[in-house]
Formats: sequence, structure tokens, C-alpha cells
Amino acid sequence: MAEVEEQLPLSPQDGGRGECGEEPSDGGAAVGVAEAVPPSAGSPVTEEPAEDTKKKIDVLLKAVGDTPIMKTKKWSVERTRTIQGLVDFIKKFLKLVASEQLFIYVNQSFAPSPDQEVGTLYECFGSDGKLVLHYCKSQAWG
Amino acid sequence: MSLNLDTEDDFYLEENRFKQCCAEFIKHSQQIGDGWEWKSIKDFPDGYMSKTHFQMKNGNTPSIFKDSTKENDEQTFTHVEEALDDSQASEICATSEVIRYEYHVLYSSSYQVPVLYFRACFLDGRPLTLDEIWEGVHECYRARLLEGPWDTITQQEHPLLGQPFFVLHPCRTNEFMAPVLANSQRENRNINYVTSWLSIVGPVVGLNLPLSYAKLVSEQNTKTD
Repeated sequence: MAEVEEQLPLSPQDGGRGECGEEPSDGGAAVGVAEAVPPSAGSPVTEEPAEDTKKKIDVLLKAVGDTPIMKTKKWSVERTRTIQGLVDFIKKFLKLVASEQLFIYVNQSFAPSPDQEVGTLYECFGSDGKLVLHYCKSQAWG
Repeated sequence: MSLNLDTEDDFYLEENRFKQCCAEFIKHSQQIGDGWEWKSIKDFPDGYMSKTHFQMKNGNTPSIFKDSTKENDEQTFTHVEEALDDSQASEICATSEVIRYEYHVLYSSSYQVPVLYFRACFLDGRPLTLDEIWEGVHECYRARLLEGPWDTITQQEHPLLGQPFFVLHPCRTNEFMAPVLANSQRENRNINYVTSWLSIVGPVVGLNLPLSYAKLVSEQNTKTD
């Protein structure tokens, strides 16, 4: 395992709803509900090993279509990082312009909402100790 | 699944497949109580998926509205007003801030893709203006929208109901769906076009799909493997 692991330099953002499934209504049963991870409250960026609530998870980024491939594919990301935060980071890394959209997918087919926390995605879709995310750039989405 | 593959980059969705995808989607929605329903129009073969939800302007869901998913379009609004009796009035201290969102997923035969229609109004019946709708657009999409708002959200007459709705224009749907579909073909995975598509366009207008929809796809893949 000689892959380089780097830390994302951006500070973590407060996350949104942190569940695999929505709160079920009276009749329904949610599929795969996981514990919500409490978002860290505006803590500063640190290079040191993280505490429990800021524990990092391994993310493997894979390009889809004509999207440029990142030189570094494996990243150590804080659980509370949101999809939006990850999108911003990848866009900067790939030097995309603001008008270009970047989509991130789990299961190669589903785009989690921008406020979804990476930690929750890892709980639901992670395997072999990592979360595989596909990313794809696009000029258009509408 | 049958896809029109006239050119390698074109992954259009044919109408029967659209209906199948919607059926699978709604089945899952029922399992998790997500509120989507299929609506058909009397005497027409067409139909669409519909969901109504209520949200405070600051993004929270008012608790008394969580169960209001069963009524049809026109009656939902009236029903909600009737529910606002004195005992509940104090809970709804800021009723002017509650917004009723209605989302419809229709099929566009001209573009051969699904299309998202939506409208929103306050409880007093006042519809949101286009500006107010844009205020509700997630910030990560705003840069794109600000550059060309008229390319993406327009106001049109609902093809089946004949009422004004906002629409996310479908002309570029194929562009952003193609890589996802191509990838899934390469990997021999079945994906639900409507689920994937809605997961992408929904957040733009405040519609977020619970993660369990994504798990549904992977379960289907496991079963067919």
C-alpha cells in the first residue's frame, strides 16, 4: 500500500442531516439508518492526529468520463466534510472554472446532496476501509 | 433496459423505461415514507411523479405538515389551511415563513428525458417569485445560475395541468447523464435513470433525496449478479 495519503487543507464545514435514510414516517421503515455524526463546531484545521469526532476516513476518488484524473486519488478526509466541501476542493485541485459543475457519486450512480457528510456516506457505502467516490465534470446540469 | 444507442454519447430514456424507473422509485419512496406518488390524468396515458413538502424559509420542516402527503394537488393546500386551528396556531407562529413546495417529474418526449417541474407558494397562496426561488438554490449551484439563469430555470405551463410551473430545462440532461450511464454500462451495472437524474438536479431546487435510494440500486445489482 504505497499510496500517498494527504490531508485536505480546507477547514471542515458544519454538516447537514447525517443519516443513511430519512426519518421514517409512521408506516415506513428506513433502509440502513446509521447513527448521525455530530458536526464539529467550527474547530480549527489541525495537522495532528484527530480526536474521535474528527476522525478521518479514507476516500478514493475516481474520475468518470472525460474528467481529468487526479494525480492523488486517495485522500484522508474528516468525517464532517460535506460533499460540497469536497466538490470545491476537487474543483480547485483540477483548476476548474466556477461555471463548470462537478458531480460526486456514490455507487457510481447516485449524487448525494451537497450537505451530506462524508462520514455518513462512509457508514453507508464504505467497504474495505474506504469510501469510493466517482466524480464527473459537466458544463451543464439543467 | 433498452437505451437508444444511435450515437455512442447518447443515452436517451424511452418512455416505458421512464415509467418503470418511476415505479421502482415510488416503491422505495413508499418504503421509507418519502412522499412520492404517481399521478395519472384521466383519459390520458401520461402520468407523472409528484411530491409536496413544506419547509420554513430557513430550511426546517414544520412538524405538523410532515404527514400531509396523501391529498391530491388542489386539495392539499385547502386541507392544510383547515388544519391550522387555534391549538396549532401558536406552533405556527411564523406561518408567513412556511413554503409549500411541489415537485413533479414528467417525461419529455421531445427531449426523451425526464423533466423536473416545480412550484412554491406561501401558505397564504402567494406564489414565490423567480427571485425568491433563486434564493433557495443551493449556493454551490449559484455561480452557474448567475451566469445564465434563463438557460436553466424557466417558467412554463405544466403540460398536463396547464398551470404555471418552474422548470429545470431538459435540453442538457443528456450531457450530464451520459457519463454516468456510460460508466454503468461499462461496469455492467443497472441503474435507475430517474433516481440518478433526480439526485443530481433535485438539490438545485431544494429537493434532496435520502441516501437509501442509492442503496436500492446496489441491492438490485446484487440480486442480478
